Amino acid sequence: MTVKRYTEMAYTKADDMLFGNAKYPVKTKLGLEVGAGYVTAEVNYAPRPDTGQSKEKLVSEYRRLTTDIMARAVQIGFPSISLETEHVQQMTNNPTWGGEIAHVQKTIIEEYNEEYGIKCALRHTPGDIREERDYLALIGPKYDLLMESFEAVADGGADFLSIETMGGKEVLDYAILRNDMPGLIYSIGCLGSIDMTMIWQDIAKIAQKKGVIPAGDTDCSQANTAMFIAGGLLDKNLAHTLAIIARTISAARTLCGYEAGAKGPGKDCGYENTIVKSIAGVPIAQEGKSATCAHADVMGNLTMQCCDLWSNESVEYHGEFGGTSVQCWAQTLSMDAALMNVALNTGNGKLLRDMMMLSDRYRDPQGYILAYDNAWKVGNAIAKNGNDLYLRAKAAAAETVNLLNASKAEGKLQMSRFETNALADAEKAINALTDETDKFMSDMLAKYKSEIAVFKPEENYKF
Amino acid sequence: MDVDPSKILIRYNVQKEKAQTPEELAAEQYPKTEPAKSVYRAIFEGEEDDVVEGLKKAIDAGANAIKLIDDMLMPGMKVVTDLYDEGIIFLPNVMMSADAMLAGIEFCKEKSGSAPTPKGKVVCHVAEGDVHDIGKTIVAALLRAAGYEVVDLGRDVPVDEVVAAVKAEKPMMITGTALMTTTMYAFKEINDRLLEAGIKVPFQCGGGAVNQDFVETYELGVYGEEAAHAPQMADMILAGKGLEQLKDNFHMH
Repeated sequence: MTVKRYTEMAYTKADDMLFGNAKYPVKTKLGLEVGAGYVTAEVNYAPRPDTGQSKEKLVSEYRRLTTDIMARAVQIGFPSISLETEHVQQMTNNPTWGGEIAHVQKTIIEEYNEEYGIKCALRHTPGDIREERDYLALIGPKYDLLMESFEAVADGGADFLSIETMGGKEVLDYAILRNDMPGLIYSIGCLGSIDMTMIWQDIAKIAQKKGVIPAGDTDCSQANTAMFIAGGLLDKNLAHTLAIIARTISAARTLCGYEAGAKGPGKDCGYENTIVKSIAGVPIAQEGKSATCAHADVMGNLTMQCCDLWSNESVEYHGEFGGTSVQCWAQTLSMDAALMNVALNTGNGKLLRDMMMLSDRYRDPQGYILAYDNAWKVGNAIAKNGNDLYLRAKAAAAETVNLLNASKAEGKLQMSRFETNALADAEKAINALTDETDKFMSDMLAKYKSEIAVFKPEENYKF
Repeated sequence: MDVDPSKILIRYNVQKEKAQTPEELAAEQYPKTEPAKSVYRAIFEGEEDDVVEGLKKAIDAGANAIKLIDDMLMPGMKVVTDLYDEGIIFLPNVMMSADAMLAGIEFCKEKSGSAPTPKGKVVCHVAEGDVHDIGKTIVAALLRAAGYEVVDLGRDVPVDEVVAAVKAEKPMMITGTALMTTTMYAFKEINDRLLEAGIKVPFQCGGGAVNQDFVETYELGVYGEEAAHAPQMADMILAGKGLEQLKDNFHMH
């Protein structure tokens, strides 16, 4: 597949961005359109820990939970539903396992589609297994096995192919614990982008061959690591101003998937997706308040602002008072979607979008920057430098600093001294960066080769 | 459309911030005399070269190199970890300070030709099948910063290897981290194998998908919700507290 970098915005103005609507919707064989004027729930789940012991146990687990979700969806009268299966490692390492589970799930989904006409999709997300015990092993036998897994799940019936790639994580894990701004730009914006550009060309080829949709990636392994380490308001593990800079850099990285052939919907945990949507116009999945079963963050409502699929991130399959966990969350998500669809159908979409956005805009620097108007500005900074992976990542970081500094005049976003100091340090570091990509790349290569024992640039990034 | 945020949310982190800066609070804890004061400050600032420079001065003035670890480096680091425990400084500061302190310890070891006596030994690992190791990295750094010797087995560590390491190293505590529900099952296996071998050592477990309910299902397990609980737990073991007391203290839900 050819790689075409984005240098222009899909949306000429931020206000045109709205949930349930994408410039370039996608459609599954079972009638689900994503980004075509309505929002659909995407239910995400994890098998119980002891079911990973054998293929039979896992297949049985996924059969049960898929049936549960579909049954609840028709019982409550939801017109559409999407299911996402994020692989446990056994399913990717044994491609026939993932393939068989996709087939079992798709068979159930097709039966419901045939009987009730419910519009459906099945997303499969193989795990990024490209690691040895001590090192990332992005290229080589594990890569080939991963591609086999994509082929198997596509054959099994997955409509959307996704992954959460890990390129650059060996440097990110080091840099994020040291407030190292050049390290964030290098790990996420450069190494992550190089890896994504490589892998997504191959995923897109498989999707094309199998007639399925290459959906998208997320910077879960890096920007979400930063977000989770940053934690809540009182946690002291990472300044939230740095977490949001990691996030905006990750938009420049996640964009690479679409540049290499992905079509959307982007992965739910990519909180950078509003920025990505502003540039690429692709539909996106998002998670927030209805993902509290999986994690806590400070942007529960805001992330609905431009979503096309609305997800719960992940919930372990087990019983609750109201049914099984997947049934409860399928219902919660679908009710959220119903409210958004009412807003769209009554001409109140932008009103609801702005209410959801404002509920979190000033809660935290992360929400402030990911509010769709500011997200669009970051997207614009990326697109203006779209042809250069380093410069666009740097531009995303610089624009984030500019927007946060500018917010001080308005006074609505309160930042603690820690956040302000970290922001000032980040600004200083960004201003000190070279504009010469080759120099940056060679300086960083030398620095991290000497400082990080597990960094293997030649093997993993073909340097 | 816009909103007055004060009507819908409270930024408690801004509201609770202390009037004094972390630098001022740290400086209050520094000794009055040099070069100790400079070493403390260099640890706080994460300046490895300045730590070594201060130690050199102390040794030149006749100090015992290995004794400097307990007299200067550990108390200097304690200023940092105390401020972190109080929520005054951030984790990256602790990491950088720990790097500086460890550089100081290496220097003292080189100069004296001997090794310091650690407070205790802890075996750290990431569950078999799991390669997400940033949590373990933080735990190990905080334990080292608190003066414990860490045997870091790395990530994706087979159960056999953990059990063998515990038998060989005889640690006061084991830590296990896991991000995924399917990999944390290995903790239970380790627990069973250790009990079979008659080993009853506290096994602190935490990480992404790990929760107290799961950890309570095996005898040696003590749930560690935060990385910072690891040195606190080790301190309690050092003070003679047993498994049940650890569970009473750390099982908060």
